[in-house]
Amino acid sequence: MNRVLACLFWLAVGLVLLFITLPLAVVVAASLSPSSAVTFLPWEWTLDWYGALLTDRWLQPFLLSVRIATLVAAISGVLGILAAYAIVYERIPGATAIMAGLLSPLSVPQIVKGVAIVLFLSIIGLQGILGTPALIAAHVVLALPFVTRMAATSLANFDGNLDRAAQSLGATKRQRLQHIVLPMIKPGVLSGVTFAFIISFNNIPLSVFLVRPGDTTLPIAVINYLEYSLDPVMAAVNVASMIFILAVIFLFEKIGGFSAQLHGGSK
Amino acid sequence: MNNYDIELVSVSKSFAGLPVVEDLNLQIPRGEFVSILGPSGCGKTTTLNMIAGFNTPSSGDVRVRGKSQTRVPPERRNLGLVFQNYALFPHMTVAENVGFGLRMRGTPKAEIGPAVEAALRSVRLDGLGARYPKALSGGQQQRVALARAIAPRPTVLLLDEPLSNLDLKLREAMRIELKEIHEQLGMTFVYVTHDQEEAMAMSDRIVIMWQGAIVQQGEPDSIYRNPATRFVADFIGRSNILSVSWSAGEAAFLTLNVDGSPIVLRSACLTDPQGIRSCCIRPESIVLLDGTQELMPGQNRLDGVVRRIVNLGAHQELLVDIADGLALTVLVRSGRSSSPPEPGSTVTLGIDPHDVQVLSD
Repeated sequence: MNRVLACLFWLAVGLVLLFITLPLAVVVAASLSPSSAVTFLPWEWTLDWYGALLTDRWLQPFLLSVRIATLVAAISGVLGILAAYAIVYERIPGATAIMAGLLSPLSVPQIVKGVAIVLFLSIIGLQGILGTPALIAAHVVLALPFVTRMAATSLANFDGNLDRAAQSLGATKRQRLQHIVLPMIKPGVLSGVTFAFIISFNNIPLSVFLVRPGDTTLPIAVINYLEYSLDPVMAAVNVASMIFILAVIFLFEKIGGFSAQLHGGSK
Repeated sequence: MNNYDIELVSVSKSFAGLPVVEDLNLQIPRGEFVSILGPSGCGKTTTLNMIAGFNTPSSGDVRVRGKSQTRVPPERRNLGLVFQNYALFPHMTVAENVGFGLRMRGTPKAEIGPAVEAALRSVRLDGLGARYPKALSGGQQQRVALARAIAPRPTVLLLDEPLSNLDLKLREAMRIELKEIHEQLGMTFVYVTHDQEEAMAMSDRIVIMWQGAIVQQGEPDSIYRNPATRFVADFIGRSNILSVSWSAGEAAFLTLNVDGSPIVLRSACLTDPQGIRSCCIRPESIVLLDGTQELMPGQNRLDGVVRRIVNLGAHQELLVDIADGLALTVLVRSGRSSSPPEPGSTVTLGIDPHDVQVLSD
């Protein structure tokens, strides 16, 4: 009986994984196909399409996306830590309401948010910042709930006795934040920051309203290109950005030190 | 300048209008090992937190070496603290944990190393400095916590149920070790616990708290021998507590009627007989008489029937009915020669009047 259940379980897991990875496999295969039509299971292989990526047409949007995503990750990381600190650690009055407010962007569709931001900027006479500054601001609004939530959860799970122990050992508040609180919530904050980076890097629905023509992010450049042509360059762009995102996640995991020392250290 | 490391002067603390500690007065002399003992919710942890500075008294004053601590934050009180859950910093090695207090105080690096070594040596963990806490056993982690607390040479070491998370054997070994560390350092230890055996085993003095107030304090032995109230008699060790009233005084003995029974006990306690409400008899102070022993003057003799026997290994615990609805627990040493009485057999109990401790509640 148990064996049957175990078999069914692994079968289900296998099917789910297949369902997730098969489309990616198609894209990878298509990006390596020498024919200019997008095909699956080509008989010959080429890397020519990737060569086409190394032109300004793709490099410019890519670099802009990386710049924006990096700034968004940094800004929402700092703001998220500060917000979580005030809400969870200091328990300022109205903490729950503030948290609800910070999480509220999650419940508004991104298209609506995009329109609202454009309208808002033109009403207050700030159309001039449309383009990169507006993109950064909008992505921060979008990413902040994730970072704040993650940082808040880490802080809430933080054992208050560690703080008291440090305090009884003579550590001032600043020293406790630097040596105890921040290192302890680092993994949570870093995964929030990773999210922020990816959310910004992949974003289409908000960005589409805010980019300036000729100065677009990578996903918008892809959308624009798709309007006129569907060829393996598309597949190559997508595979390349997928590899890039995986590399970013790997990098953050490395810095994050999700190593054994942070788990089960204090009971 | 007096000789007290810690003084609590009519300290009260209430949370949301609910009094947790009321008008507490306590003086802890330098170098003493004092246990604050009481059941959970008696206010002992709140008291410790007020000494440490994490709770501010609603009224009254906390003094360390004669200086009021009201406006001194916890990080400036120079008190060591050991927690029940160890509270080691998981992202630091053992040596970094132990050196943390000195680092935060800006002690020069050259001095920190040897101080850490010394602290680890005093808890017998030398050589483990490079490990991370999670690589250590529970007992070792608690020693690291101890080393971390004593490394900056605090005025007083506060321990909040530090052994509760350890298993029984380790706990018993750690009791002895803690006592040795205390003697070796000569530092004042304030030890909060609900475990009366722990308190008895280690303390120079026990302070018993109940419902936010101190009900009795003294050396472990004197508390055990002379509990002041029914609560203390019941909480410290095992005891037979009988409701009694005074009927007459003989030369050196008081005669007590056990309420609701014809039984009469003599007590050698010298106290105001009018105030007597109950008495306490320790199970191990009751002896089984087999007719060969000589009666001591005034000794109580009671006949009873053994209801049941529990074998505790070194001792046999007898429950003996001495009257309707009245039974005494008797503890007799398991001997090679003498076999314990069978359940249902009749026995004669002897109780020295000095072992009948009268209580006023």
